[in-house]
Amino acid sequence: MKALETTKPAAELLRWRTVDIVVVALLAVAFGVVFWAWGTYVWAWGSFLGPQTESLLTGVWLLPAVVCPMIVRRPGAALFGELVAAIISALLGSYWGLDTLLSGLLQGAGAEVVFLITMYRAWNPVVAVLAAAGAGIGEAIHDLIVNYPGLDDAGRAAIGAAEIVSAIVIVGIGGWLLVRALRRTGALQTFPSGG
Amino acid sequence: MSVLPAALQPTRDAFLTRTTPAARLVAGVVWLVASVVTLDPIVPVRLAVAAIVVLWLWSGLPMRRIPGRLAPLGFAVLSLTVFSILLSSANGDRTLSTVAQIGPARITGPAISAGIAVGLRVVVIALTTLLVFGPSDPTRMADSLVQQWHVPDRFAYGTLAAVRVAPFMAGDWATIGAARRLRGLAPRGPVARVREAGGRLLVMLVSSIRRAERLALAMDARGFDSGLRRTHFREVRTGWRDWLTIAAAIAVAAVALFVPR
Repeated sequence: MKALETTKPAAELLRWRTVDIVVVALLAVAFGVVFWAWGTYVWAWGSFLGPQTESLLTGVWLLPAVVCPMIVRRPGAALFGELVAAIISALLGSYWGLDTLLSGLLQGAGAEVVFLITMYRAWNPVVAVLAAAGAGIGEAIHDLIVNYPGLDDAGRAAIGAAEIVSAIVIVGIGGWLLVRALRRTGALQTFPSGG
Repeated sequence: MSVLPAALQPTRDAFLTRTTPAARLVAGVVWLVASVVTLDPIVPVRLAVAAIVVLWLWSGLPMRRIPGRLAPLGFAVLSLTVFSILLSSANGDRTLSTVAQIGPARITGPAISAGIAVGLRVVVIALTTLLVFGPSDPTRMADSLVQQWHVPDRFAYGTLAAVRVAPFMAGDWATIGAARRLRGLAPRGPVARVREAGGRLLVMLVSSIRRAERLALAMDARGFDSGLRRTHFREVRTGWRDWLTIAAAIAVAAVALFVPR
């Protein structure tokens, strides 16, 4: 089975099969629930810490942007995963709702660019960390414009830096470890990442 | 899913329940953009009032459940406002007069007004989200996106299928917890609890992936990936209500932005 997968032409590996769509969507739904819970229970109370420190918690919102593509290895998986997770958290009543679509688009695009540069061929921890940083930059652009427009430059720089650090640690390293743990259970055998 | 809020559904027929989700999405984005482009607090105030009126009169959603639904918002808005005021760049501007002095922190008028604008912005976003997603269910949303915006149907309905099986995850979570307790893996202390949750989460994700694979196989067995051109069971057409909704949203946004106080 695996030998068959790897000998397929590149074009075949870029096309989304039904199983890719459903698995990314289901993971995104799970992340959407996590988004909602994180926003409602953790983020709201983390506000005590002030925006710079609190920004260290933002990485959780970027997990689908790296975990989904690392599993199915299809173009657009970062964008698709982030957008579905955003829609689900909006349906659940996350108060960021509609705005999550906007930030999800930017975060997904930030990670997608990195995977595109590798031509969807390199799936190692370094790429995971770079994609996470890309997603973090997308998020920082959104948040600095929408949530923290009036702050002084030092404050804005600190928030941007905290968000990117959070992305690298939680999403780049954490997300890669999660995919590795999933692979070890044998659950990813249908996917190119399974071997 | 007991921890999740029950779905907020319209309890009566109303104007917005007869609009298409795509049209509401456009209208919602117009308000979102309008509330984000300015730091004048009057704009989000006007939009929030408009959103509450629409919610009340035309959304068909039960008003009694709205406050409970928006409760977690209060704290986030408060802290965002306070920190935006405290850390505002306007506070460093010596030409502005000091309104308040808290220890070393100097607060100016423009900082307060910008902070309130940022806080109210979140209120507008939350209310608009209810107006966009509240009046119809995910199925209508998928129908609408496929037929009106030509989103690829495999992605839209594949996602919808995933949404349908998602509630099983709560059952999985409970079963996994019971199985772990049976094996004597009862966590003690906060660190052990976090580790336990991580382990349960991994097993839950594995079982979700397995379920998604079976679902995809079943869908393919019925020709989901046949590549044939599909017809639609529930036809969605853009109607006059959709255009009216978008036009009204633009008009309200224009009034909120440009009419002087």
